[in-house]
Amino acid sequence: MGALAVEAIGLSKTYGAVTALREGHFQLRPGEVHILLGSNGSGKSTLCKLIAGSIRPSSGELSLFGTPTNLSGPNDARARGIGVFYQELSLSPHLSVAENILLGAEPLTRWGTVDRSALRHRARDLIALFGSAAGPGLTPDAPVSRLSFDQKQIVEILKVFSSNPRVIILDEATSSLDRTQVTILFERLRALKAQGVAIILITHRMEEIFEIGDRVTIVRDGLSVATLEIAATDKNEIVHHMVGARIEGSIQRRLRPEPSLETALTLDGLQGPALAPLSVTLRRGEILGLGGLHGQGQSDLLLTLFGAQGTQAGRITIAGQRFRPTSPRAALKAGIAYISGDRRRVGVFAGRPVFENLTLSILLKTGARRVRPGLLRTLLEPILNRLKLKAPSLAVPIQSLSGGNQQKAVIGRWLTTKPKVLLLDDPTKGIDIQSKNDLYAMLDSLCAEGVGIILYSSEDSELLGNADRVLVFNSGQVTEELSGARLTEFDLYQAALKAA
Amino acid sequence: MILYRRPWVAALAVTLLLLLANLAVQPSLFKPAIMLSNLSSWLPLILVAMGQTYVVLSGDIDLSIGAIISLVNVSVVSLIGAFGGGDGALLLAIVCGFAIGIGAGAINGVFVAALRLQPIVTTFGTGILFAGLALAIMPDAGGTVPDRVFETYAGPLLGVPVILWILSLAVLFVIALGRTRFGLRALAVGGDAQAAFQTGLPVTRVRILNYGLAGGFAALAALCLIGETATGDPLLGGSYTLSSISALVLGGTALSGGTGGAIGSLFGAMSLGIINNVIFFARLPFELQSLIQGIIVLAALAVGTLVARR
Repeated sequence: MGALAVEAIGLSKTYGAVTALREGHFQLRPGEVHILLGSNGSGKSTLCKLIAGSIRPSSGELSLFGTPTNLSGPNDARARGIGVFYQELSLSPHLSVAENILLGAEPLTRWGTVDRSALRHRARDLIALFGSAAGPGLTPDAPVSRLSFDQKQIVEILKVFSSNPRVIILDEATSSLDRTQVTILFERLRALKAQGVAIILITHRMEEIFEIGDRVTIVRDGLSVATLEIAATDKNEIVHHMVGARIEGSIQRRLRPEPSLETALTLDGLQGPALAPLSVTLRRGEILGLGGLHGQGQSDLLLTLFGAQGTQAGRITIAGQRFRPTSPRAALKAGIAYISGDRRRVGVFAGRPVFENLTLSILLKTGARRVRPGLLRTLLEPILNRLKLKAPSLAVPIQSLSGGNQQKAVIGRWLTTKPKVLLLDDPTKGIDIQSKNDLYAMLDSLCAEGVGIILYSSEDSELLGNADRVLVFNSGQVTEELSGARLTEFDLYQAALKAA
Repeated sequence: MILYRRPWVAALAVTLLLLLANLAVQPSLFKPAIMLSNLSSWLPLILVAMGQTYVVLSGDIDLSIGAIISLVNVSVVSLIGAFGGGDGALLLAIVCGFAIGIGAGAINGVFVAALRLQPIVTTFGTGILFAGLALAIMPDAGGTVPDRVFETYAGPLLGVPVILWILSLAVLFVIALGRTRFGLRALAVGGDAQAAFQTGLPVTRVRILNYGLAGGFAALAALCLIGETATGDPLLGGSYTLSSISALVLGGTALSGGTGGAIGSLFGAMSLGIINNVIFFARLPFELQSLIQGIIVLAALAVGTLVARR
């Protein structure tokens, strides 16, 4: 068999107080396709970037081809025969396809200039691998910025192949590819495998794991928890390892009265650029959960409803009235509130006092021309008590509060508008447990008042603990609806990994 | 598709349009002597703009470039005096001038790319430093150079004016550089520095080299200015910083980096020069000149940008 292509022993990476990878143990044999599997933020991409030399380990040891190695950077890794497909792509938008594919290993003429015709020829040969599946416009001279996303992924793949690496890392290389393109890629991978090339593949598509994988390593919470032979395992065992030793049903569901029979919101064939047609009814006092892997269309749905992203077709009805989501302002007037966990970008107005942060929405909704602080204060008081917002005073700048209290202020801002529908986009990202519990209690009382809530959460326990039912998303499509006894982590993972 | 990677085509079109306008108000424009004198007054800005282009292409900016011109200018004039006026002394002073320009650029590059300081603020700061050095070397405009310096500069070499030699060599250098690995990598770094790093490109080195290149071009511009004025002036360079940036934007280089080229900046700088001509020969009232100039610059920019967007 020879030496291992890659061996990671107790590899860890921390960013300040955040641990991205705790104790990465990983072995890659020459001539195998090794799947890395884990939920978002589990540490897969971190492990790959460590092997690629684009970040440096905080501790632990990395061996390449049997030799302990300290990579000085991506060029070092590349020189040692490691080729990486980056999930976020490593393409230069203004360069052509050919230039991108061969960047860093440009063929030269004897004058020392870049050999354009050789560049073009080699790129053409590589593009030919994908034949007609590459789609129109994928030519050596086309600027990368004008390609579709799947074509960019193909260029990134060809860029990896062009350097004839001995180790290939593909981090979600198939996420935008269609079936034909994936088949071509896998054929190529099998050929490379036969030549002894070692391949790491990150994918969330369960059927791909069994189609191409030899072994699978499951990463959870920054730890590599298990390595299994694909031939000797099945889907259930894999999902069990992803969920971990947590006992089924251990998630405490919050006790809430049954939602009312009145409708809060109806979607009828709502469709957007990243969203397949969706029809669903949200009842008053109901919490509808959105699940699935990160970025499968959940936020797109919420932003579309909030008027921040265009629709292509479909009808939205709120409390019996048709609503056209033309802008967030229209949504605000129609009784929709949107709260994101990405506070710094879309939530708080940093540098401004808490008071201003709290009163923006109500001022916009009522269209008041004059700010009357006294009146606003009496309006805010009950809401602040309910939220248990802790602030030395409402005059302090909002960023001086803790993350949890900042988020409470953002929620308070929206509660002043008395919303009929509340959209929560991963609302508790990065806030402490106490604040989380305060927020859940808040949701209880909003449900009792008959507000309809749509909740997307990247935390499974939050989703399962709060939602009455969960729509599981994959590639912009709802693949499954979970409710009742099927609201378990196991079912959630299984649905999330199901092909769209 | 034709314009992709040839952003200078739009700049060339704008330059030709402006030339027509210039011809309308100055019928003698295309007489060789007039063209040559025009060229010699545009040449410093053309060179500075070409150099600045490389810095901007890799996603940075150099606000000290005018101060580098001043510094090289007073240094070379002082050195010629100090070395005595012989041919060897002149040559040595010129070499020192280039070394100072490239060195100053490299200092910028190290601060910005290796120490990762913010480019605008850093080069604003080093610019003050270089300008201060220039003032320390020569507090007042003055100093003289031997007559044959400006006689050579204004005269012909092998039957071709020296100014034309300098311009042609600069253009050839720029074209050749664009075909090298380095030229391609500079564009890649400016397009997306993170992607370039992950590809394994030496991002820091590329950025430092581009600053050094800009410093070298600034030194050449400073030498041309000595050839033209035959004297040293510590405040000479100041206006070139923003003019060079205007010129390269007119020439189709994006301030965000990654797209454009030094040939476009050549046309951009010429456009600025032609606009000055038009204003001068149109005999506009003095108080309206700035206003009209501003309008023409904006119009030229709009035309170039709209054409390039097609």
